[in-house]
Amino acid sequence: MKEIPDSKIMLFKSCLVSVEYPGIESSSTFLFDQLGVEYHREDRQSCCTGLGHYYDLFDQVSTTALAARNFWIARESDHPNITVMCATCYAIMKKAAKILNHQTNAREEINDMLEDAGLGNMVYHKGDIDPQKNIFHVAEVLFNKKDTIEDLSKVDFSQFNIAAHHACHYCKVHYQDTLGGVRDPRLIDELAGACGVKTVGWYDQKGMTCGAGFRQRFTNLETSLKVTAEKLLSLKENRADLLLHMCPNCQMQFDRYQPVIEKRLNEKFNLFHLNISQFLALALGADPYHVVGVQTHTVPLEPMLKRLDIIQSPIKGSKLKMNY
Amino acid sequence: MRTIKINENISKLANEVIHDLKASPSPELFKCLQCGMCVSLCPAARYTDYNPREMIKKILEGDEDIISDEEIWNCFYCYTCHSVCPANINACEVNQILRQMSIKHEQGMGKIAPFLTYGESFLEMGIGSIPNAFFDRLLSDFGEEWLDLKINLDRVRKEMGLGPVVLPEDSIEEIKGILKSTGFITRLEKIRLLK
Repeated sequence: MKEIPDSKIMLFKSCLVSVEYPGIESSSTFLFDQLGVEYHREDRQSCCTGLGHYYDLFDQVSTTALAARNFWIARESDHPNITVMCATCYAIMKKAAKILNHQTNAREEINDMLEDAGLGNMVYHKGDIDPQKNIFHVAEVLFNKKDTIEDLSKVDFSQFNIAAHHACHYCKVHYQDTLGGVRDPRLIDELAGACGVKTVGWYDQKGMTCGAGFRQRFTNLETSLKVTAEKLLSLKENRADLLLHMCPNCQMQFDRYQPVIEKRLNEKFNLFHLNISQFLALALGADPYHVVGVQTHTVPLEPMLKRLDIIQSPIKGSKLKMNY
Repeated sequence: MRTIKINENISKLANEVIHDLKASPSPELFKCLQCGMCVSLCPAARYTDYNPREMIKKILEGDEDIISDEEIWNCFYCYTCHSVCPANINACEVNQILRQMSIKHEQGMGKIAPFLTYGESFLEMGIGSIPNAFFDRLLSDFGEEWLDLKINLDRVRKEMGLGPVVLPEDSIEEIKGILKSTGFITRLEKIRLLK
């Protein structure tokens, strides 16, 4: 198994985590603190461009040049182990590191561009970042601490039928680098297992995309939602009532569109959505609002928290008032 | 003996794809078996006329019409095709390269035009945002609570111990400098001219 660090980690900020599910970030830092993982966050770090890249708006040179700047920041702050919360950041950053290490002409061209922009100090040298040894997903760092998670786990989730959605841009893009491979990824299943939960495991559409499809969600919504619906129906067939995610874009597709799809199909899915960091933080006793950030979700999580005895009764009124 | 004269230019498009910066080292395009594994699990092939096997075949035949084929815009970029290909071909990446080729012409430019504000937001804040062109539709699908989140984001983040989303001013200047050098700002200007 590959070596996974627990120090010198730069927790790489994600655009969708920041604006849609900030609880994924605060849950990840809560867990890192509890598990003794040494990390750092950087104000200077830019977004990876991932969404824009896969909208076809950002070209490969622009994406790679911005990655070179972020790589420089990680090294300069002595936290070269870039650890992402989003599957798209994972794929984008690995691709950029591979290009910069192996394509000499591209590296020189991008370094010239950095010089032109007055950022000669940021030029990339071959091998500055190793895509296998310096770029990780938070779930991998947590997997490395599975035994400690088992010891610290306080909340019993066994009344829920939990399923996992392993994001495509984690599993399928650089599939030789990932934990658990691509056929039947079990990274999330095993992390949930550390809290004493037996998950659904395999289901027919386990490997299927969330359906967001980057531009498809916007320019081709009907097709996008058909794919999401197919996965939701497969989860319903397996009686799943909590789906665990590792990518904020997938989470958005399921959590924000589930009520829309329910109306269209006249079906009820009764499926809660949490990122694996949010789930583990809850299991380790984190505050559902100030840490896990359930108030930014569309499918309400209060009924789940009530069943777990974490809250006594659902908060009434506007979810974002935070008067609890 | 009868000989078949192969069109010398037949490999021109395939070679252009293989030598694109985005192409993984050795994308093995010429080893395609035309087996259809890519199609069997492709979400776009299930619900639209997009066909990754056909796309690779056309490239190998040197058929440049594939660049302007509307169907290539239906790919989800999920990389499922890549993860199951027995010849190690990355059809998903090939699709991305074709779209970038298409963007050199007006048709492809039109496809990225709706996402212009994502690029503009990136230059202003160092982070992308939901493209304006689709905001109203998302709002009607996601409901008022989602709008509440957008309006109160800084406070919600603060209550969770999280700082501002926007990057410091000097970082934004660095990002603008880089994106000027790479030609990205020129690309955005071209989109504006198109509009």
